[in-house]
Amino acid sequence: MTDQQSAPERLTPADSSSAPPAERSDERIIHRGPMRRWLISPEIGALIGAVVVWLFLWGNGETFGTAGTTLNWLDVAAPYGIMATAVALLMIGGEFDLSAGVMTGASAMIIGLFSRFYTGSGVHIGLGIAAAFAAAIAIGWFNGYMVNRTGLPSFIITLASFFVMRGLMLVLSKRLAEKVYVDQIKDQRGAAGFGTWIAHEWILTEFPGRDPLFVALTILGGALITYGLLELSFSARARPSADGIAILAAGLVVGVGGFVGLLRSDGVAANFGFGLLTAFGALVAVLGLARVRWEPHKGERVRHRLESGTMFRAYVGVLGMALACVVHFPFDRNERRAVLSWIAPGIRPFVVGAAALIGLWLGLKTLLQSGRRGKTTKNVVGPVLMALYVALLLMTLTTSALQLATVQAVRAMAMILLGTGGVTMMLTARGRAAKYDQRWQVAFGLAAAGGLVAIGQVTRTDATAIRFRTVLPTGLVLIAAVLMVNTLLEFLMEKRTYGEPGADRRGRRLLVAGGLSIIAGAAVRLLYSNASPSRAAKLREAGLPVPQNVLRQTVLWWILVAALGAYVLAKTQWGNWIFAVGGNKDASRAVGVPADRVKIGLFMVVSLCGALSGTLIALRYGTVQADQGTGLEFEFIIAAVVGGCLMTGGYGSVVGASLGAAILAMSTTGVQTVIGWNGDGRYAFLGAVLLVAVLVNTYTRKKAQEAR
Amino acid sequence: MSAASLLELRSIAKYFGNVTALEGVSTTVAAGDVTCVLGDNGAGKSTFIKILSGLHKASSGEYLIDGRPVSFESPREARACGIATVYQDLAMAPLMSVWRNFFLGAEPRKFGVMQSAYMRETARAEMAQMGIDVRDVDQPVGTLSGGERQSVAIARAVYFGARVLILDEPTSALGGRQSGVVLRYVRAAAERGLGVVFITHNPHHAYPVGDRFLVLNRGRSVGDFAKSELQRDELTKLMAGGAELEALEHELAARE
Repeated sequence: MTDQQSAPERLTPADSSSAPPAERSDERIIHRGPMRRWLISPEIGALIGAVVVWLFLWGNGETFGTAGTTLNWLDVAAPYGIMATAVALLMIGGEFDLSAGVMTGASAMIIGLFSRFYTGSGVHIGLGIAAAFAAAIAIGWFNGYMVNRTGLPSFIITLASFFVMRGLMLVLSKRLAEKVYVDQIKDQRGAAGFGTWIAHEWILTEFPGRDPLFVALTILGGALITYGLLELSFSARARPSADGIAILAAGLVVGVGGFVGLLRSDGVAANFGFGLLTAFGALVAVLGLARVRWEPHKGERVRHRLESGTMFRAYVGVLGMALACVVHFPFDRNERRAVLSWIAPGIRPFVVGAAALIGLWLGLKTLLQSGRRGKTTKNVVGPVLMALYVALLLMTLTTSALQLATVQAVRAMAMILLGTGGVTMMLTARGRAAKYDQRWQVAFGLAAAGGLVAIGQVTRTDATAIRFRTVLPTGLVLIAAVLMVNTLLEFLMEKRTYGEPGADRRGRRLLVAGGLSIIAGAAVRLLYSNASPSRAAKLREAGLPVPQNVLRQTVLWWILVAALGAYVLAKTQWGNWIFAVGGNKDASRAVGVPADRVKIGLFMVVSLCGALSGTLIALRYGTVQADQGTGLEFEFIIAAVVGGCLMTGGYGSVVGASLGAAILAMSTTGVQTVIGWNGDGRYAFLGAVLLVAVLVNTYTRKKAQEAR
Repeated sequence: MSAASLLELRSIAKYFGNVTALEGVSTTVAAGDVTCVLGDNGAGKSTFIKILSGLHKASSGEYLIDGRPVSFESPREARACGIATVYQDLAMAPLMSVWRNFFLGAEPRKFGVMQSAYMRETARAEMAQMGIDVRDVDQPVGTLSGGERQSVAIARAVYFGARVLILDEPTSALGGRQSGVVLRYVRAAAERGLGVVFITHNPHHAYPVGDRFLVLNRGRSVGDFAKSELQRDELTKLMAGGAELEALEHELAARE
C-alpha cells in the first residue's frame, strides 16, 4: 500500500486523546503498523523488482505467465537460487566467495573425471559425487581457514581458489579427456539411478481439480492475511457485536453470490460485473468482520485545515485518472506502425537518445536525492515515471517488429503512466490528509478506488489483447477493493497504537499461514499440466499432442535449500551468530560466539551448495565444460545484493536472495523470448536492475535505521 | 576482606615479548562492592580487563575466584564462572535487534530452535527492571543512544547470572548527564549483590561509586586502597597526570 509508504509518521491529536492503558504506552513511540514494518524489511526491494519485471514481461509477451513458461524460468532460476542462498548467508556473515561460480563447474568436472577416468576405466558415479562433496568440504574449509588466519579480505583468498580450480580443471580435462570438456557422464555406471533420485524430471499430468483448488487456496490465503492484518492493527473488543455479525453475513452472501456468478458466467462484461459484485461483497464482509471483533473508532474526529498542496495533489490525481480513461480516443487501437516513423531513420537514434538521457538524468537525480541525508524525497513517483519513459523511448529505437515500439503500445504506455500517476497522486493526498482531516482522507481514498475501477472498465472495453481485457480489469477491481477496505477501516476503527504480544504473535502467524496458502495455490496451478482437461480432451480427439509441462527436481532442491537457509537464519542460534559475526566480529567473539567456526562453516555451506549444483549439472546434461561456472559468482552476488544483503555484512535476507535469483532468471528468459535479444542482452538488463535495486535497498535500510 | 572476596588477583604480570604490559598488580573484588581501576592511557587497563575476562592469560601471578586459583582458556570459560565483561565498544552488532543482541552467544533454545518470543519478552522485562524503557525490542541496537546501549549491555550481563561485572570505560564516550545515568546503573548492579570492576580514567566518576580503588601507571600498580583510606583529591593526584600536572604548574610558576 503506497500510502503507508508515502505517508509521514502519523501523530494525530486523536491518538493521544484516546490513549491506551498507561503501562503499555510510551508517548515517544509512534506505533508502527504491520505494513510499515513489512515495508522496511530487507527483501522488499527484491519483491517489488520481481513483481515489476514479471508484470513487464507478462504485459509484453504472449506466453509469459503461463504454467509452462513459469516452470521454464523457475528451472533457470533454481541453480542461481541454490547458490544465492549460500552466498547471501556468507555475505550476511561478512565475507565474499569469488570461487562460488567455478565451484559449481569444478564439482561437475570432478564427477565427470572420476566416473570416466579414475583407475583408468572409471568408477561408479556415486564415488564421483562423493569425491565432489569431499573436495567441496576441503575447499570451503580452506577458504574459511585462510580468511580467518590471515585476516586478508576474502576477495583475495577466494580469487586465488577460483584461479587454482579453474586452471586445474582445464589441465585435468585436457590430460584425461584430451579435450576441454567431459561428456558421456550420463552413460556411466549409476548415472541413471542417481538421476532418478537427485535430478528427476516429472511430466505433469492433467488434474480436473486444479483450478478450483487454486482458487480455493488463494481465497483462503487472502482471508487469513486479512484476519492477520486486522489482528495486528486493531485492539480486540470485550464482546462480539451483533450488528457486525449481520453485516459480515450480508457481505458473505453478496460475495459468494457474485463469485458463483463469476464462475458460471461467460464473457468479459459479465465477468467484470460479477467481479465488481464479489469485490463489493468482500468489502462489506471485511468491514463486518472488523466490527464483530475489534473496537470501533472512539473520540472526536480531527478536523484541521489541510496542509497546503494536498488539494493540488488531489486535483492532479483526478485529472490524471480522468485522462487515463480518455487518452486512448485519439489513437487507432489496431495501429501497429512504429512510432516516430516520420523522423528520418538517420536522425531518429539521436533524437530518441537525447530524450532518453534527459529522462534518465531527471529520474536518477530524484532517486539519488532521496538517498542523501536530510533530503528524503518521499516522492517515488518521479523515478518510476522516468524509468517507464526511458524504457519507452529506448524501445522506439528498435524496429516495429517489437510490439513495444508500435503506436498501439504507446497508447497503452500513456494509459499506464497517467493511471499510475493519477492514482499515486491521489494516494499521496490521502496520506497527507490523514494527519489533518480524516473525512478528506476517506474522500481521497474512495476517489482513488473509483478511479481504479473506471480505468479497469476502460481497459476491459478497449484493450486489444485478451489477457488485458480479462486479468487486468479484475486485478484493478481487486486493488480498488483492498484500497477501499483499508480507507474505511482506518476511518471506522480504532487503530492500536501499542504492542500486544499475544495478538501480535497471532497476527504474524496468520500472515505466514495466509502467504503459505497462496503459495500452495500457485504451486497447485503450476504442478499440473498447462492444458485444461476440456482442452486436453479436445486435442486428443483431434489427434493432436497435448502440451506437456516438465517439473525438474532442481526447483525442489532450490526450495529446500532456500527454506532451510531462511529458517536457520531467522530461528536458530547459528542464524543469530551469522548476523553477529557479519555485524561486529570482535564483539560477537567477546560474548562467546565462535566466530571462526561460523565463518568456516559459511564458506563450507557455499562450496557444498556448489557441489550440489555441480551434481545437478552433471546428472542433467551429461557434458561439462572445463571452465563451466566461471563468471557466475558475480551473478550470485548480484542476486544476494538485489535481495537486500548489505555488502559489509550483518544485514540481509535469504528469501530476498531467492527473489533476486528469480529476477535474474526472468530477465534471462525474458530478454530472449519477449524482447527478442539474444541471451547476452541480459547483462544490460541486469546491470540496470542491480543499480535500481541497490538504490531502493539503501533507501529502505535508512528507513529501518531511523530511530523508532 | 579476602574471605568475602569473589575475585582476587595476586601480583599479576603480563608480558608481550619484551614489553611489560602489566606487573605486580593485586586487588580484590567483593560481592556488593565496586572496585574502580584507574589509569591513564597506556597504564595497562585494557590488558587488565583482558586477563580478567579470559581473553589473555597472565604470564605470572595468581587469579583466584572464591579463593580457588583459575586459569581461563577463553572468554566463554570466564563467563561460565560468572565473570561478565561489558566492553567499551559494547560487544554489540549495531544492525541487529535489541533482543537478538541481548541473548547473543547464549541463545535459549528448545530442540535447537531459538525461543524468540521468550527472548523478546525477557529482554523487555529485564531492561524494565533496571529502569530502562526500551521502546521496541525489535529495533536495531544502532538506533539507541549511547547510554541506552550501555544499559542494554549491563542488563544483559546481570541477567546472565554475572557475579562479577567488568565495565570497560562505560562513561568515556558519554555526556555529563548520561554518565550520571550509567553510574547509577553501576551502583544498582552492585546493590543487587554483584562484584563490579569499573574501569575508568576519570576519578570524578570513580570516587562517588567506588568502594575500592586500584590505580595503575605504566603497567605497575600505584596503589590499592579502600575508600576509607583515600580522599578524592589524593585519588586525583595519584592518577597519572596528577603529579605531572603539579610539576607543570610549578614549572610555569617558576618561569614567571
